[in-house]
Amino acid sequence: MEYISLFVKSIFVDNMIFAYFLGMCSYLAVSKNVKTANGLGIAVIFVLLCTLPLNYLLNKFVLQPGALAWLGDSFKDVDLSFLSFILFIAVIAAFVQIVEMVVEKFLPSLYSSLGIFLPLIAVNCAILGGSLFMQQREFLNVGEAATYALGSGIGWWLAIVALAAIREKMTYSKVPAPLKGLGITFIVVGLMGMAFMTFMGISL
Amino acid sequence: MNEDLKKTLLNPIFKGNPITVLVLGICSSLAVTVQLKGALVMALSVIIVTGLSSFVVSLLRNSIPNRVRIIVQLVVVAMMVILVDQVLRAYAYSIDKQLSVYIGLIITNCIVMGRIEAFALGNKPIPSLLDGLANGAGYGMILVIVAFFRELLGSGTLLGFRVLPESYVPNNLVILPPMALILLGCIVWVQRSIQKDLQEK
Amino acid sequence: MNTNSNVYTIVYTTIIVVIAAAILAIAAMALKPKQDANIKAETISQMLTAAGFSSKEDLAKLGNDQILKMYSDNVKTAFLIDAKGNKTGELETAVGDIELQDNLKVENKNIAAGDPQLPVYVFEKDGAEINVVPVYGAGLWGPIWGYVAFDANCEKIVGAYFDHESETPGLGAKIKDEAWFREQFVGKKVDFAKPDDSFDIIKGGAPKDDAFAVDAITGATMTCNGLDAALDTWFKAYMPFLQKKAGAAGVDEGACCGDGCGGESCSGEGHCGNCNHEHNHQEG
Repeated sequence: MEYISLFVKSIFVDNMIFAYFLGMCSYLAVSKNVKTANGLGIAVIFVLLCTLPLNYLLNKFVLQPGALAWLGDSFKDVDLSFLSFILFIAVIAAFVQIVEMVVEKFLPSLYSSLGIFLPLIAVNCAILGGSLFMQQREFLNVGEAATYALGSGIGWWLAIVALAAIREKMTYSKVPAPLKGLGITFIVVGLMGMAFMTFMGISL
Repeated sequence: MNEDLKKTLLNPIFKGNPITVLVLGICSSLAVTVQLKGALVMALSVIIVTGLSSFVVSLLRNSIPNRVRIIVQLVVVAMMVILVDQVLRAYAYSIDKQLSVYIGLIITNCIVMGRIEAFALGNKPIPSLLDGLANGAGYGMILVIVAFFRELLGSGTLLGFRVLPESYVPNNLVILPPMALILLGCIVWVQRSIQKDLQEK
Repeated sequence: MNTNSNVYTIVYTTIIVVIAAAILAIAAMALKPKQDANIKAETISQMLTAAGFSSKEDLAKLGNDQILKMYSDNVKTAFLIDAKGNKTGELETAVGDIELQDNLKVENKNIAAGDPQLPVYVFEKDGAEINVVPVYGAGLWGPIWGYVAFDANCEKIVGAYFDHESETPGLGAKIKDEAWFREQFVGKKVDFAKPDDSFDIIKGGAPKDDAFAVDAITGATMTCNGLDAALDTWFKAYMPFLQKKAGAAGVDEGACCGDGCGGESCSGEGHCGNCNHEHNHQEG
């Protein structure tokens, strides 16, 4: 089953945090307790799931070399791929704006606890990175792109909730002063990354 | 004026270092530090993008409508990044192949947007340019330190030149990405031992 | 001027976007020729390394123009073939208009669909003919590809070069970085008797006398498996052509394939290449 294999691969083997280190800034900043980490993780899943397939269609019908052929034969040689970065980020920024408005209206407590990090999802490397990897990998249809998006989002969510859980427990440990906070977090994430590398050899 | 300029230039290198103190720009710093050459190219790209974007946004700062502030900033940054990417593809093709996705991710590099929001929007163009360049340099310095160790211990080479003797068995663990994080943790450890006021309670 | 009014906002954003798009379009157009030349020179460098004319490191020190000239000077002819090994078109080799079939990703899909346009680049080195063909497939993280150089009869491999987009540095990336891996291919052959699995990259080491296999890279099993699959797929697609070349080295075609192989080439040694129907001569 291609979809299931792609789905599981994008959660564990291609994990956005541990394999590619995308989305680190908000990852490190919001992982201090599990509740907010959970909220941000779910927001990331949602934004990825909506923007990646959209960007896939954008890439397929507008950006790729030869993509504009549907407009007419004279457009067959047009290559707009140099506009990819700008268009992808525009789609993502617009979407995050919408998500922000929805969350503010319907989940005000989550809105206030996420604070600045909700609009910062727009510049979360994981979201743009997901779209850029999608462009490299050439999925066969929107379904595959959506599966990849869902898997990547869940992988990111898994990583941030796991780190938050560890950091909550670490408040009771005796960490040397210069390492406290940022330093020990880097080392813990590095160790978690090594653990996730065990998934690399799995073929489904 | 000179004192302020000096502070703008020197602060981001150590005390206000974007990676180890402000915790910005981590993402790309890990992936491109496998080899010193890649780290240098990335550092140079970030310096140019941050400097020029801050400069342009500062020039425009009084005319940008508030509601589309973020979008305008993103357009400026994206344009700079695409220009850098196109130039790399024309004049340094093999490096661009290695750095591919990560050059594009400079757009979302928190350092660029962070400095625009924190400095360029409220300051004159020349200081903004300097602030952008200096933050890029602070970022670049950390990248070079991490890449130095990763390439030296992981391949026995530096910038492609063999430094350690042939009998040195390369430490493959260091080449893998998680090690970059652990190295960063150690750098933070060293820095905070020296500058005790940075330690968290 | 009220910077927060709707009209101002819309006009401003439009102007900014138009200026940005214009600057980018100009830069992209101006730099495109150089970028395309880089891509072409890179592809040619890989071919020249596989064919044994130089090493990738030495070629990297030359400029694009010198690399293109080296190609034109040493290439005899370049052409496209279809799934049956028949020539379908020529590729220009004059130094100003070098044509390459380097959209391997598309051809990979076409092989699966059954109607590929496969390139063959024929070089001449020290009086001997060298045939270079590409291969392409999926590694662990992204595409892997390369060039395999055969001797004049397409029987023995004389060189190979492999590249990848995003394999793990220090592991899968070794298919490109470590010379010993590709040097193993020298002297090996493609097994015409097993069209679906004509070459192997064996984990744990290939038997010394196995002419159709090489050792895999420790710790890079997935990448090597991907390369193995890529070689199998592309060698199978090229098999009619390879067999024709091998068969042309003086084998009595009528002896085995006289009774209607449907035009498939004969590789000699008592069996036909891709025939599906029964013959009463021994297999293998």
